[in-house]
This record gives sequence, C-alpha cells and structure tokens, in this order.
Amino acid sequence: MPDDQSRQCPAGQIPADTAFSSVERRLVAYLVALWRLRVPIRHARPDAAGNPPRRVSLSDGLIWMPGTFRGVDGRRSGALFRAALVHAGAHLRFTGPRFPAAGLKPLQLALVSLIEDARVEQLAMREHPGLLRVWRPFHVAEPDGAGTAPALMARLARALIDPDYRDGDAWVAKGRRLFFEAEGEWDSPALSRRIGGPLGNDLGQMRVQFNSKDHVVEPAYRDDNLGLWDHGEVPPTPPSDAETLFEAFRTEREERGDGRPDEQPGEGATPASLSAADVPARAVGEEEITAPPWHYPEWDYRVGIDRPDWVVLNERRTAPGDPADIARIVERHRTTADRLTALVRSAKVSRPVRLRRRPEGDRMDLDACIDAMVSHRRGEAPDPRVHEVLVRRNRDLSVLLLLDVSASTGDPVAGGGRSVLSVEREAATLFAQALDGLGDPFAIHAFRSNGRRDVSYYRIKAFRQPYDDAARARLAGLKAGLSTRLGAALRHAGRLLERQATHRRLLLVVTDGEPSDIDVADRRYLLDDARRAVLALAARGIDCFVIGLDPQGRDYLTRMFGARNVMVIDRADKLPEVLPTFYLRLST
Amino acid sequence: MALDAHRIPEEPYYRPVAGEVALFEAAYAARMPMMLKGPTGCGKTRFIEHMAWRLGRPLVTVACHEDMTASDLVGRFLLDPGGTVWHDGPLTQAVRHGAICYLDEIVEARQDTTVVIHPLTDARRILPLEKRNELVQAHPDFQLVISYNPGYQSVLKDLKESTKQRFAAIEFGYPDAAVEAEIVAHEAGVAAATAALLVRIAASSRNLKGHGLQEGVSTRMLIHAGRLAAQGIDLETACRIALVLPITDDADVRDAFSAAVSAAIA
Repeated sequence: MPDDQSRQCPAGQIPADTAFSSVERRLVAYLVALWRLRVPIRHARPDAAGNPPRRVSLSDGLIWMPGTFRGVDGRRSGALFRAALVHAGAHLRFTGPRFPAAGLKPLQLALVSLIEDARVEQLAMREHPGLLRVWRPFHVAEPDGAGTAPALMARLARALIDPDYRDGDAWVAKGRRLFFEAEGEWDSPALSRRIGGPLGNDLGQMRVQFNSKDHVVEPAYRDDNLGLWDHGEVPPTPPSDAETLFEAFRTEREERGDGRPDEQPGEGATPASLSAADVPARAVGEEEITAPPWHYPEWDYRVGIDRPDWVVLNERRTAPGDPADIARIVERHRTTADRLTALVRSAKVSRPVRLRRRPEGDRMDLDACIDAMVSHRRGEAPDPRVHEVLVRRNRDLSVLLLLDVSASTGDPVAGGGRSVLSVEREAATLFAQALDGLGDPFAIHAFRSNGRRDVSYYRIKAFRQPYDDAARARLAGLKAGLSTRLGAALRHAGRLLERQATHRRLLLVVTDGEPSDIDVADRRYLLDDARRAVLALAARGIDCFVIGLDPQGRDYLTRMFGARNVMVIDRADKLPEVLPTFYLRLST
Repeated sequence: MALDAHRIPEEPYYRPVAGEVALFEAAYAARMPMMLKGPTGCGKTRFIEHMAWRLGRPLVTVACHEDMTASDLVGRFLLDPGGTVWHDGPLTQAVRHGAICYLDEIVEARQDTTVVIHPLTDARRILPLEKRNELVQAHPDFQLVISYNPGYQSVLKDLKESTKQRFAAIEFGYPDAAVEAEIVAHEAGVAAATAALLVRIAASSRNLKGHGLQEGVSTRMLIHAGRLAAQGIDLETACRIALVLPITDDADVRDAFSAAVSAAIA
C-alpha cells in the first residue's frame, strides 16, 4: 500500500512482528512449494545515508529483501512480504535477460517495467490462479485520482490485474486494451517493450508531472525493477549492503560441486571476519601452544620396540574464522541437514529391545508360557522365566572426530573446485549439527605434524564445550598444512576419549592419505606405528574407524585399522553426506 | 475350502501406469518372489489385491511391525484341554494352501524375523517348522510378495542384503498428472476438473520434499481430500484436513503448503 496512506508507526518503534526474518522461513518454503525456487535471499541494509530500502530488489538471481517495510502496520506486513516475495519469484521464473536501457526515456523505462510486472504476474496466475488474492488487495488506486504520472501508473497497474476495476481515463483504457489484446504473446518478454515504450511516450506528451529521482514503484509489494535493466557502461546501483555479490552462491551450482575454495579469508570478506583479522595470523603449525607438551612413544617395526618419549605433541590454538561460513555450509546442504535431523530424531528414540524369558516383566512371553505349561503337564518343574520386557536402551556412547589437516588436504577434490579440507569442514559441520541434536558427547579435533618433535593437535570442539559460535569459528578457521604423523594423534585422541565415562567410545578418523612425515623415509614405519596405536586403543576399549578419501587407500587403511573398520569414499565431495549417516549406522 | 476368507470376490479398481500388470503375471508364472517398492500411498497394496483377483489366488496379507516374531509368521503351539495344538501362522497357511502371501512394510519387522522367509525364496521353496520337526514343501501356486518403502529411514531400518537379493522388484511412484487425476476422480467420486486441481496441489507438496517435508502427499491423501469435497466440504478446507494437517507439524511448512493450496484455487 502507498506509504502516505498507511498508518504511521511511532518513529524508531517498529513492532517486532513486521520484520521479514520472522516470516522468512515460511515464505521461503512457499516459493519452493509453488515453483521449486530456492533463491538466496539477502537482507538489504540501509544505504550510506542510513535510509532503509523501500522496495524489494532483484539482481543476478538474488533477492534483496528490506528487513521491514517502513510504516506498514504489523498485521499487513506478513501479507506484504508474501506478495513481494512471490512477485520476485514470478520475475525469476518468467523474466528473461535484462532489457537494454539505451534510447529510452525515464517514463518509458517506468512503463516498460510496469508492463513487465503485469506480464509476469499474469503468467504466474495462469499457473496459480489464487495469487490474484495475494496481489490484488494492494492495488488501491481509484479512478478519480490526481493526474500525476505515479497516480496514472498506479491506475494502469490496477487495471491490468483487477478484472473488476473500471477506469474512464483514455490512456489507462488504451494500456489495458493493448495488454489484453496481446494475451497470446504474454509468454514473450519483448511484449513489455512493445507496449510500454509507446505508453511511456504518451505520458510524456501529455506533460504529466514525473520526477524520476523520487519515483517509487507502486504498489509496495512490487520490486524496484532495477534488476530488469542493462544500462551498458553505467552499472545499475547495487543495493547498498556490506555483503558483496562475490558472497553470493547459487544453491544448485554448489550442489554440483562448482564452488571455489572457501578457506581464504581475504576474498569477499564479510564484516564479521574483520574481527578474525584482528587476531594476528600465525603460520600453520606455529599457532600458539595452549598446554605443556605431551610425550608419546612411537613403534619402530624394524627393531620391534616402542621408542619411549619419541614424539612431542603440542596442543595449539586454532585461528578463529567466521562462524557465518558454517551457517552458510548448513544452508548449502539444507536437504542433507534436514534429512539428518529426521534421522537423529528417530535414532534418539532407539528401537526398543525385546528381552525374552525374564523372571519379571510387564508382559508375558507367549512361547515361554507355553513351554512352562508343557513342562508342568509333563510333571517337570516349569521354568519361571515367562515374562518379556521392552527396554529402550539409552544411547551411551561418545565420539571423537579426528580430522587430518595436512598439506594434501589443501588440494582440490577430484573433479571439483573445493579443497579436501573444505569438504572435511562441511562434513564436520553436518556431523556436529547432527550430534548436537542427538545428545551424544562429542568432540572434533584436528592434527598435523612437522617432524617427530612437533605434532600439532587442535581441539576445535572439546567434549565439555558446547557447540557454540566459538567452536564454529574455530572450525571455519582451519587451514591445511604440513604432514600426517597419525600414530601420535591417535594416541593423544585416545587419551582424551578415555576420560569419557560412557560405555562405548568411538574414534572416527578422516584422512586423505597414508601417514607420512618429513623425517621418515620408510613408508611402512608410520603405518605400522599407527596400527600399533589402534591396537592399543582397542585394548583399552576404544573403537577406531577411519573414513578414507583416497580411493586407492583401502589397503593401507585396512592394515592400520582392520578391514571392518574402514570406509573408503570414492568421491570426496560425498563426505558431508556420508559421515553423519555412517556414524548413525555405527551407533544404533 | 481353506483360505476362503482370503479370496477376493470382486475386481479391485486398479489403473495400470506402465506394464506392471504384465510384469507381475510373468513373475507369478515363474513363482518369482516379488518386491513392490515405492513411497506410501502409491497403490502397492491395491495392485497386489488386483493381481490376486486377476490370478484367482487367495491373498494372505501380513502387516509387519516391530513386535512381530518368527512365530507370528510361521505358527506356534497353543494350549487346549488335551495338550498342545499346533496352529499355522499366516505364512504357513499360504505356503500349504497355495496363496499369495503379502508381507506389507517388511522393514518394520526386525531382521531376525524376516530371515524365516529365506528358504521359501530360493529354488527349494520349503518352510522349515523346527518346533514340529516338519519341512513344509510350498504348494505350487504359492508366491511371496513384500512391500518396501525405501527412504531416508533405511539408514536405520533396512532389509539385509541377503534378503533384498532374493526378490525381483517393481517400482511404484506417483503417476503422471493425467493418470493420477483419473484415479482420484474414480476413487473419490469427484469431477475431473476437481481431481486435476488436487493433483496440481499435490505437485506443490512434492516440491517441498526435502525442504520441510519428508514425502509429498500421496495419491491416497488426494483421494481423502476428494472424498471430503464430494461430501460438500469446500476444497480449501478439505485440503487442509486431508493434506496439510496430517503431513507436517511444522508451523512454517504448514503455512507454506496452505498458501500454495490457496494459490492453486481460483
């Protein structure tokens, strides 16, 4: 509804229910339901002068929504957001490439935009006739309004959508006639130019007042149409927002693995990551040490002994990244994340186990009862265990996810743009999300090494810490580098995992290659040491499983972990889906 | 005659979608164990009823559930004044008397229960009753059919690989819009235009699969909505009751789906 006709809100007091964020989720689902459109939506922030945007804006496949519509009553704002988002959706579905703006006067630009708005709305209503009820209430122009350009345009807009509207003005009638006579051409974007250009010309010759600088599209649910036009040399002013378009991603393309490596903070930095830059960046493997060094033995297979205190392990602090990156990962994997949430819900309420032939219980075990009667009739003493009990075994296990962040994880995955590390990060994100919901105690750690005197170990999320923004920041800040001295990391992880009081303790390792280090030439040495570490952990009741990202890795992984505890993924970009489901299957 | 209660006297309505009727007839001719795969509400049970009628065989249906034991399928001794008496379970009855045995939603049963069907699904076609020390040779007309709804749940509840590989499968899904509308119009007793509108509404919900809904609405739910509409309930309300409310409790998803229903109705 036009701003000057709406109720005024007291300055500075926007009722909480007018915010887009409160209805965003349901409106996003609405677009999916109507057209399967999953479009990234950005919240448009005030411009440099502090003015909030007044209209939705579309550009390059993104929808920029005003956080609120100023001056709109809370009760109407929900309907307004709905109308606005569906209108934007109609553009995305039916509007083609940008129209060249060259040679068109401002009034013509406005009219072509108006016709295009009407065209996409009519096409949308062909598919979903009920959308008329969504849009029509906002067209409130009356036939006897002022003769200004905005008023006439509003009347024309209403005439093009409202079948019950009658307007005597010759120009409005002409526009209406031209539009509806061309119904057979509504599929063609060229129609808007063909009709809108002359109509704009007419208005110009009628000498109606029109101030293109102040012109705001009416009704309020329609977008500003900036996304329709190609102004050649001069790019249209993008909506002012600290996020640049480099941040934009298309959901579908990401699902095809078409993204770019995302662990360099310099590119497309968001405001939040400026705070990460405040922490002086340390080189990989030289981050601040947070605890006294640990000493671990190492197995030398050539002489058959554990060399005592051979390896020095340092726990280091991870440079924090931007927790928003993690939120974006979840968004990108929305389908998988939703599926996991449902799986987690059913895994939590585990299948009840039926224990039969119990001396006590709440039901009778029919077969045991019959056997007892048979015994009784044969003159034998019947077995008194004739009851059955359904027990829901509570989940009683903790899991430590150990990520290999050596230099090789900085390489791109086969056939895609992302690095192995970013795939590991995505998998860890979904894993953490699932486990946060599940309630099992969990930890996410990472390791790399630089010779036996400097194995670096990172506690991204410790057992007793919550999975909060700090943990997400550490996960976002992980970088690749150095080597893979797996045995020491396993021993340290085992020590930390051992402290958990649960019945079952799982160590899940994700690695992309054989263990190796700069001071070891013999390939078998570190491999056998890792094997020895796994056996030692197993003897202490800790189950180790490995997910390998090297398709050729089954042999050496089997040697280290045992055939039943190895999973090799042929395509590393499947890891985010596989890791959480693998864990759920293991743990049920 | 035994199993008279399981015979199907009248033709159950079934609208073929692809060549599944001929496929099943060929499978039955070979007495091949069959698996009907597909989401819920797509006609698997109606199909097997139709085929049983068409082939003139009785149909013994077992609705599988988590509490089911092997004895529930195979049979058990019960007590009577004279001693113990053996009672055949539904599977054994079908095996002895040559019926089609249909295990519906077989993943709901535990894996240690479903393995009892293994000896019936290989060339031997026998059912061992250990408690009676009897080996029942399957009647030549016996066939085993199971229904299976694969889905994300299969991570936690799934058939053993050794079970799956004993079956040939026919896949069921949502039919094309025109066919689905025909089915809805017939089963719900509504006009073709209303049925077509309901099918368009179903498409919105299927768009939401994976984005708030685990499954879109099934053909069966559309039939429910149509039946309510045929009774005079306005279509939007009928859809709310039969489609929106049952399928999700999430307020946002309900709102989105309801709004999509509203948008579909002129």
